[in-house]
Parts: sequence; C-alpha cells; structure tokens
Amino acid sequence: MAAIGTIVERTPSAEVLSRAQARAALIPDCLVEAHRLANTVIAGWHGRRKRGIGENFWQFRPYVDGESLSRIDWRRSARDDHTYVRDREWEAAHTIWLWADLSPSMMFKSSLGSVSKESRALVVMLALAEILARSGERIGCPGVMEPVAARNAAERLATAIAHSPLTDGLPRTDMIRGSSDIVLIGDFLDAPDTIMERLAPLARRGLRGHVVEIADPAEDLFPYAGRTEFTDPETGQKLTAGRAETLREDYTRAYQARRAALADSLRHLGWSFVAHRTDHLASEALVAVHMYLSGMPAPKAAGDRR
Amino acid sequence: MSALAFAYPAVLAALVVLPAIWWLLRLTPPKPVVEAFPPFRILASILKREETPARSPWWLTLLRMLMAAAVILAIADPVLNPRENTLVASGPLVLVIDNSWAAAGDWQRRIDTASAMIDDAEARDLPISVVFTVDRQHDAVPTDAATARTRLAAAQPRPLPAQREQAVAALKTALADTPPGTLAFLSDGIAGSEDDGTISALQALQPAQLRLVEGDGRSTIALTDANNDAETMDVTASRLSAGEARTLALTAHDTRGRAIANGTLNFAAGEARGTGSIAAPFELRNDFAQVTIDGLATAGGTYMLDDGFRRRRVALLTGETHDASQPLLSSLHYIEQALAPFSDLVRPNVADLAAGIPELLEQRPSVMIMADVGRLPEETYAPLQRWLEAGGMLIRFAGPRLAAAPADDPLVPVVLRKGERALDGALSWSEPQPLADYPPTSPFAGMPRAGDVLVKRQVLAEPTPDLPERTWASLADGTPLVTTGKVGAGRIVLFHVSAETGWSNLPLSGDFVEMLRRSVQLSRGGGVAATGEAQGQHLPPFRLLTAAGTLSTDTGEAKPLDPATAGAAPATADNPPGLYGSQDGFLAHNLFPAGTNLAPLPLADAPSVARESLIGQVAQSLKPALFLIATLLLLADCLIVLIMGGAFARRFRPVVARGTTALALTLGLGLALATLAPSPALADDTRPNDAELLDRMDTTHLGYVVTGEADVDSVSERGLAGLTEFLTYRTTLEPGAPVPVDISKDELAVFPLLYWPVSASADMPTSATISRIDAYMRNGGTVLFDTRDQFSSLDSGDTSPNTQRLRDILANLDIPPLEPVPPEHVLTKSFYLLSNFPGRFTGSPLWVEAELDQQQDPNRPARSGDGVTPIMITGNDFAGAWAIDANGMALLPTVPPDETQREHAFRSGVNIMMYMLTGNYKADQVHVPALLERLGQ
Repeated sequence: MAAIGTIVERTPSAEVLSRAQARAALIPDCLVEAHRLANTVIAGWHGRRKRGIGENFWQFRPYVDGESLSRIDWRRSARDDHTYVRDREWEAAHTIWLWADLSPSMMFKSSLGSVSKESRALVVMLALAEILARSGERIGCPGVMEPVAARNAAERLATAIAHSPLTDGLPRTDMIRGSSDIVLIGDFLDAPDTIMERLAPLARRGLRGHVVEIADPAEDLFPYAGRTEFTDPETGQKLTAGRAETLREDYTRAYQARRAALADSLRHLGWSFVAHRTDHLASEALVAVHMYLSGMPAPKAAGDRR
Repeated sequence: MSALAFAYPAVLAALVVLPAIWWLLRLTPPKPVVEAFPPFRILASILKREETPARSPWWLTLLRMLMAAAVILAIADPVLNPRENTLVASGPLVLVIDNSWAAAGDWQRRIDTASAMIDDAEARDLPISVVFTVDRQHDAVPTDAATARTRLAAAQPRPLPAQREQAVAALKTALADTPPGTLAFLSDGIAGSEDDGTISALQALQPAQLRLVEGDGRSTIALTDANNDAETMDVTASRLSAGEARTLALTAHDTRGRAIANGTLNFAAGEARGTGSIAAPFELRNDFAQVTIDGLATAGGTYMLDDGFRRRRVALLTGETHDASQPLLSSLHYIEQALAPFSDLVRPNVADLAAGIPELLEQRPSVMIMADVGRLPEETYAPLQRWLEAGGMLIRFAGPRLAAAPADDPLVPVVLRKGERALDGALSWSEPQPLADYPPTSPFAGMPRAGDVLVKRQVLAEPTPDLPERTWASLADGTPLVTTGKVGAGRIVLFHVSAETGWSNLPLSGDFVEMLRRSVQLSRGGGVAATGEAQGQHLPPFRLLTAAGTLSTDTGEAKPLDPATAGAAPATADNPPGLYGSQDGFLAHNLFPAGTNLAPLPLADAPSVARESLIGQVAQSLKPALFLIATLLLLADCLIVLIMGGAFARRFRPVVARGTTALALTLGLGLALATLAPSPALADDTRPNDAELLDRMDTTHLGYVVTGEADVDSVSERGLAGLTEFLTYRTTLEPGAPVPVDISKDELAVFPLLYWPVSASADMPTSATISRIDAYMRNGGTVLFDTRDQFSSLDSGDTSPNTQRLRDILANLDIPPLEPVPPEHVLTKSFYLLSNFPGRFTGSPLWVEAELDQQQDPNRPARSGDGVTPIMITGNDFAGAWAIDANGMALLPTVPPDETQREHAFRSGVNIMMYMLTGNYKADQVHVPALLERLGQ
C-alpha cells in the first residue's frame, strides 16, 4: 500500500509568486481598517473609516461653538437653518507583517490534498502581500524584510524569501515597532501553550494578529489503517501502530482539542484564527484573512474553517 | 548395562525437523507502512505503547527450540538403568522373602521384583525355590516357575516381625546339599534380634551369588508406645533409617475408626527414635482407640489403645479457707501437683459445699478427693452416697477438721477416734514414726518401703477385727496410715494424715505421688475391668490387626492371650497384634512392646553380598521430567512474550495505583473495623441490689445478723453504731453506718465481721442459711456469736437457751477446734493491749479457732496465725456495752456498773476489728524490731 502522505521538496519562490499573483487577481482591493487611537503618522492612500485629516468627504455635522469658522460648509448650511461643518475621512497607511512557517513539518502533502502545506502557506502569504500592496499598505516580513510601501511588494517579498529562507518556528519580532497587524501562517502543531507563550508578548505590545492554520486533510481526518509506522519529520522518531484505524477516534479528538484550545487562546488576545485545509481553495483562506484585515468583527466562534 | 535407553528410538528422528522449526519461529510479522506524520506529538500522546520488535530475539528462539527438543525426547521415552538378566545358571534360584509388617508398604514392588527374577529364571530354565519368613509352614522345595508364581501371588504380608531362623532351616532341609545359583533375599531390613545371623546362615548354603534386595526403609516406622499425659497423648516411635529429620502426621481414631484428632511425629536428623504428641481435650483422648501414622498403612504404623489409657477425672474438695497466696500451706496444692500429670482435676466454682458437691458430681468424676473436710452439708450426703455406690471412689485426707468431726461420719472407711494422735512434741515421748512395709494385699504392694517418710500426727482408727485387711499402709508401730472400705461398687480411701506438711512429710515424698496414682488407677474408668477381673485368665482374640494397619474380626489362627504378656513381648504368630477380650473390656496387644528399637540388618561380615534395590525404583523413566521441563519452558516463553508485548509495562502504573488504592482500602477498612469493633457489647449483668452492694463495698460497714426480734436488733444496731463512733474517733478506720444483714438473702462477702446475737426465741436458721454461713466462713469471713448469757446461766446451773441454740447452729457447721483466746494471741495486741474481752458482762472467755500445731514457745511475743479465725464466740453481750443513743450516751448499764468496763468493751471491739482487717500483719509487727536489727539499722 502506498503511503498517504509524502514529504515534498521546498517550493521555489518564483513559482509561488506567479501563483500568488494569479490568486491575488481574484481579490478586490482591500482597505485595511485600523482601529487604534495611536496612529502611525505616515500618510496613506486609503481612509480609516473615521473623521480626520484627509481628502475625501466623510460626513456633515452641526457646527459647535469654538470651532474655526473656516471649517463651516456654507453651501450645505445655506440649505436650511443650521450651520454644518464638513468632516473628511482620516486617511493613513498601515504596516502589515506577513510570516509563514516553513519548518519541515510543513513539507508534507498527502494524497488527499492538492498541494503541500508549505506551498499553500507561501501562496496565501504572497497573495496577501499582493492585495495589501495594491491597497497601499506597507508590507514587511519579520526577520526577512523591512516594511515597504510599493506596488511590487509581493515580488520583493518573494525575492527576499528566496534569498533568506524563512526559519523554523515562530518569527523573530524584535524588528516590529509600533502597533501594526501581523499575519502568521503555519500548521501550529506545537502544544497550544507553547505557541501562546510566543504570541502573548506580541499581543501585549499591541500587535493585532491573524493566525492562519494550514492543515493537510490527512492530518485532519487520519485516513490510515492497518499496520503503520509513523515517523516525525522534525525529529525522526518512529511509532508503530498495529492497527492504525483503532486510533482514529482518539487522534481526531486530540487534534481538534488542540485546535480549539489554540483558537480559544487567540480569541482571548483579540486575534483572529483561520483554519485552512489544503484540499480547499486557497482563496477561501485569503478571503477570510482579508475580511478580518478589513475590519470585520473579531470571530466569535473559534476555529471556523475556511 | 547401558545407562540410558529409549523405548521408542524412532521418534528421535523428529529431531531433524528442528531447523524447520527454527525457520518457522524466525518468521517476522508483516512490515508496516511507513508514514511521515507531522502531528506526531499528538499521535505520540495517545499511542504510548511500544510495538514488539519484528524479530524475536535469538535466545527466545533457542528457548522454543529447547522446548520442542524436550517434547521430542520425552515422546522417545528414555529410561535410566534398564534391567538385565543377571542370574547365575549354576543352580536353582532361591527367593527368601520377608512378608513381615514392614514389607506391607511396598509389597507390590517386592512381588514385582520377585516375579521379574522368576521370569529370568524361567528364561534360563532354572528351578525356583520360594520361602517366606513369616509363615507357619515353610515349603522350600524347588519348583517350576508357574508354581512359584502361584505361591508368590498367594502370599500376603503379615502383621508380624519376620521369623527367619525357621525359614532358613527349612531351606537348608529342602535344598539338601544342592548349592543354589542365585540366592535373593528380599529383606525388610529389620534385624530380628541383636545378633541376627540370617546373612551368615544364608551364606552357609554356599550360593553362587547372594543378593540382598531391600526397600529404602523410609516407611519402616513403628509406633512403640503411647502415654496419656496432662495435655497431650505422647507417642513414641522407632524407625529403621536414622536419616534426615522427618515430620509425620499422626491421626487418632475412635473405636469405630473415625479420625478424631491429629498430631505430629518428629524424628530428629540421625535419630532412630522419634516422639510425637496429639493435643486434644481429655474427653476426646479417652475415646482414642488407635493412633496411626498418616500415609503409612502398616501394622507398625498403628498403635492400639485400651481402657488403661484413659485419664481419670478427679474432683478436689477442701474444708479449709482458700489462700492463693500461700499455696504451700494448702493441702490441695500437693494433691494437685501429684495428680496433674496423669489425671484431670476439677474443683468447685463455689465455696458453698452444698452447691459445689452437686456441681462436681455433675461432671461425673471417677475420683473425689476431700482434704480435711470434717462435715459436709446435710443434703449432700445422699448424692455422694449414691455416687459411691455407683462406683465412685472417695479419697479423704485427715486434718484438724476431720479430727474434730463427730464419729458418726458415714464417709470414712473405719471408725475414727475423736481427736488426733501427736507423735512428737513437748508433752509426748513418742518419736515421729516411719512407714512399715506395705501389706501384700494393698495396691501399694511392690513399692519400696518409704524410708524417709515420718509421720508426726495422725488420726487413729478404732481397732476392729477387719482393720488389718482394710489397711493399705501402716506405720512402723502398726497403726494404720491408709485404710479403705467398699461402699457398693465404690470405695472410700482414707489417708490418716493431712495432705499438707503439717502432720507428716509424706506429701513431699515421691511415694505420695505413687500412692495417689495407684489409688486413682483403681477407680472406675477401665483399670478395674482390665486387671481385676481378668486376673490369670486368657483373653480370646476380639479384633486383630491386619498388615495394612486396620482392625478385622477375622481371628482365624490367633490363640487366647495371656494378659501378662500383653505389651511385654512382641507379637507372635499365635498372638498376632490386636484387641483381646470382649466388647465390654479388651486389652490391646501391640506389635512391639514399649521401648523397642528397630535395628538394621547387620551385614558386617558379609563381603560377598550384592545389594540392590527393589525393581521399579532405579529403572526410572525420564519422560515425566522431560515433559515437566517442556511445560516450564512453555510457561517461561508465555511470560517472556507477555513481558515483551508490554502487557506488564502498560499495566504497571495502573497496577501500582490500584495496589496503592487496595492498600489504602485495606488500611481504611482495618481502621474502620478497628474503630467499630472495639465497642464491646456489654452484657447486661446487673442484678438487683447492685447499687446497695457497691455502696457497701465503698465503705467498710459493720454488719449484724437480724434475729427478727425488735429489742435485740435495736440493741445490735445501736451497739454497732457506738462501736463505729468509737472506731472513727480513735482509729483510722471510719466505718459506715451499721447494716442489718438478712443472712438468708443478703450478700455476705462485703462484711469482714458479722455480729450475731444468738437468741433462743428467734427462728432457727434454715439449713440453706447455715450453708451460706459455712461458705462465708470458708471464704475468709468471721462470725462473732454473742450468746449474751454470761450471768443468766447462774440461775439454773445448766446451759442457757441461747447457748443451746448456738450449739444447734454450730452442729451443722464445719468449724475448726476452738480455744479461749490465749494470752499471746494477736487479738490481745492488735490495737490495745488487753487481757480480757468484757462486754456488758464480764467473765466469759472469747473463743477463737485453736492453733493446734503451734509450738509453745515462751520466748515468742505473739503467735502468728496464718489467716484469721472464722468464728468467735462470747457470752459477754458486746453490743449491749457498745450501745449508745442519739446523744452518744450509753443505753444500757454494764454489769457490774463500771464505766472502765465499758471502755474495755469498746477496746475489745477495736481489737477485734483491727484483727479482722489486718490479720496476721499485726502478728508480724512484733517482729519489726528484730527484723530491723537483722537489717543492720
């Protein structure tokens, strides 16, 4: 019987980029809503959905004593007996950090999935970079690339990754300054407590995070049966199960419990969590992350799969 | 002779398949699919178990190979030391076979050995001569094999020792100078006598080959003696092979063959003599009919018992006060010490003889011993007499009470003179007397004369014509010391001395033990029937022992047994072991007399004897051992597979946890039980008047006997109240209020002293009441009788009614001899120094128990009595002198009117109370200066 899962070679960055750009074409321009009071000061191209300094009309509101008279919109005020002030939308650029886990455990593809986990993670990351760069956001990759605001941010990110491979585990975050958004893509198979130990300091620093968990269907469904020897791609340990099908129920329970625990912990931080399986379309994950980035309310139910 | 042979050598070819088995065993389980699995840690957390390695280790394979090899070898049935035909063909085969009791255990193997030899002889066409050593006729003429086989099949082991001389002689006659070829002696290994010449006699026949075939002798064990001891039945046994230490189980059977008790028989290493014991209650031991060794079905392993083994139950009674702290002064002490090893002693639980004697008779004693009992309660004479006539035996010892008893006592064998005869002392010229030789009619006949026994004091029998024949022992001057008399089927025996050392040193001598033992042995329980009636009369066989150690009614060849030889000589063909007599009484005739030792057959001067073992002993099949090895290997393999499969590894932690839980549970349960259980279920044993009784025990009270007459009782109450007040005022004794005592109902034991004003007009106490008073005095209480008639007798010059009443009362009491208080008595010194004891009257002496054996020693300041007098009698009306009214003024005048006399009356009361409460402590006080001086202070 052929093995269900295989360890795959590392996906070349260029190929990933082209695929990412193709996917990015499907996504409408995105506007990142940032709801923090402490703002970055760099002017950007998109509004923040609140009044402030900017060019686009935001709202009319009644004039309040003490305001500068120059701000009165006389044309509107002439239409009735009240005096109105024209507010404009606050427009500011936002820094978004993207990061994908490329540890050996990601180099896995089963017969049930269409691509490897690593491939899917890179695609989702670069597609996000493309979309966000198109909306004028600053794109960075912790440990790899400083944030840049450029139309070709996705290409630059791909180049940077190609030159300095992403390291194992969670990213170094010492280069992240100020409050910004961070998107973490990986399989997060460590114990939830270990992961949260790494993420909690980020949240305390004010980072708003979005976690995308890429899972292979074989990991989720455990389709193994018969005498099976399991090996750990990271440590090389072996385990032999005489009858693997007997383990399915226990394994699934433990796997889902881990995911639920992780999602729950992230929700407490105010972070969003998206679980994604490689046999689904990559755009599903992309849309979900994009929605969160665009200011959708924080997910109520943890671990809703996309 | 090859050391190893196979019964089925063809099976060994199966060993060829071992390599195939090896290959099969090395087969591996299916190879697993190797899967990379990133969520390995999650999987690992639920899949802890390590899979068995695919290949079984080489040593496990080797173990399985060994197992297979063992099975193959076992099926091939290897045999160690197979037999071969080694007979010498130069002459006839001669078989000398011991069919004694010791051959019964392995008789079948002996037959097999003999038949194998007969087969060999038949193969070589030799004539065969078979002779048995325990047989009435010895037919040793050589015959053919078929006849020899028939004779062998007909032979049975007999429950007798081997008689080899006749067999050898018959053999010699039958062979008539033909030297035998092979002479095989199938011996039981026991020497017939000290110098057993069987081997040399057989060698004298000049056989070409002399073989001595013997069993291992392990089961050659004979029980030689059994004794009924105090606690157990002790059994002695002898064995042939004094090898390693052995412990065998003993079983005792009753007459119907049921096992009723068990014991053990122990042989020390290297000892041929072993002892064992069977512990059982003596009622059970009396039912023992035979003792057998478990798993040893031979006549030697069975010991038969008869009635003579039964222990007698002996009831003990004494008239004196019990004093457990001074056993050497108690007469029963010596009797108990003498009788305890071979009889069972019972004593009454109550001091009241009226209740105690029926209680004892209910236990059906064989013998009753009364030590110094002068007078029994009236109603006990009849049951005692009935018991005696039914066959009981009463042994009495003299003493002060018996000496003072009236002469009409029905329970003495001879008429006694009142008082006792002192053979030593200041007023006597006579010397203490030794014992004379025992008369030949006495059961003591045969004992050596007790030379060192000296009698200082005895009671004397009135001379009658039949006195000599009633005498079992007498003193050197001819006065009887032990007399006897028959009452119906029973017997009374009287020792004319006391059972303690006051009158003689007989109780200290070994003759005392022997005399008591012989006397008790005469009592009913079997001894009389066995020896008395069957004297000189041969007993017919009743039940005979078989070689297998069972009793059978088949008494074919046995002849009547002379009782004298029973137990003295080994059993013979005429008198095989068994029971002789009849259903009513029988005598056990055992295989060996007591003290027999089994000795091995001497072979010292027989160098040409070839020794060999019985067949089937050494030609051993190795099959069971091989199968055992294979099974053990299989078990080991199972265990190893289980361990390698992790069956124990996975269960280890839960097992520990479970073990801890179980331990905790056990502990908890134990604790719970411990806390629950000790709440003892107290039986409600309260009785009416308990509160009153406890109140009287807390404080000492003076008690007076209620006569039923108001004036007498009120004077008693006021008198004791006065004495109580005086005691409280003058001494450390502070008694409670005086208590009126109804002697027919109230508990008397709480009063140290009962004041009893005797009144002729009051009701006479019933005999039950008198018995209570008797028990009270026996238990250490004292009654102060006051007849209050010191001057009333002046009128008539005769005994006053009160004195007459007192005599009536005392007539039914077992009281010691009395005397007026002697001047050195403790009573005169216990608190005040007094010379007389006046009351309202003066002049009447105070009578107390006489101390008869006291030496008159003017140097001693006080006489130290052991114990306190149980009775005091006065006529001085103490209570009248003590009586005071509520104001503390005297109620009655003294006669003569003298307040000093009243003061002395009070002092008398104080002295009496002090004497009652302190006893001989006060007497010992006078020695304090001497003691201190001796201590150097």
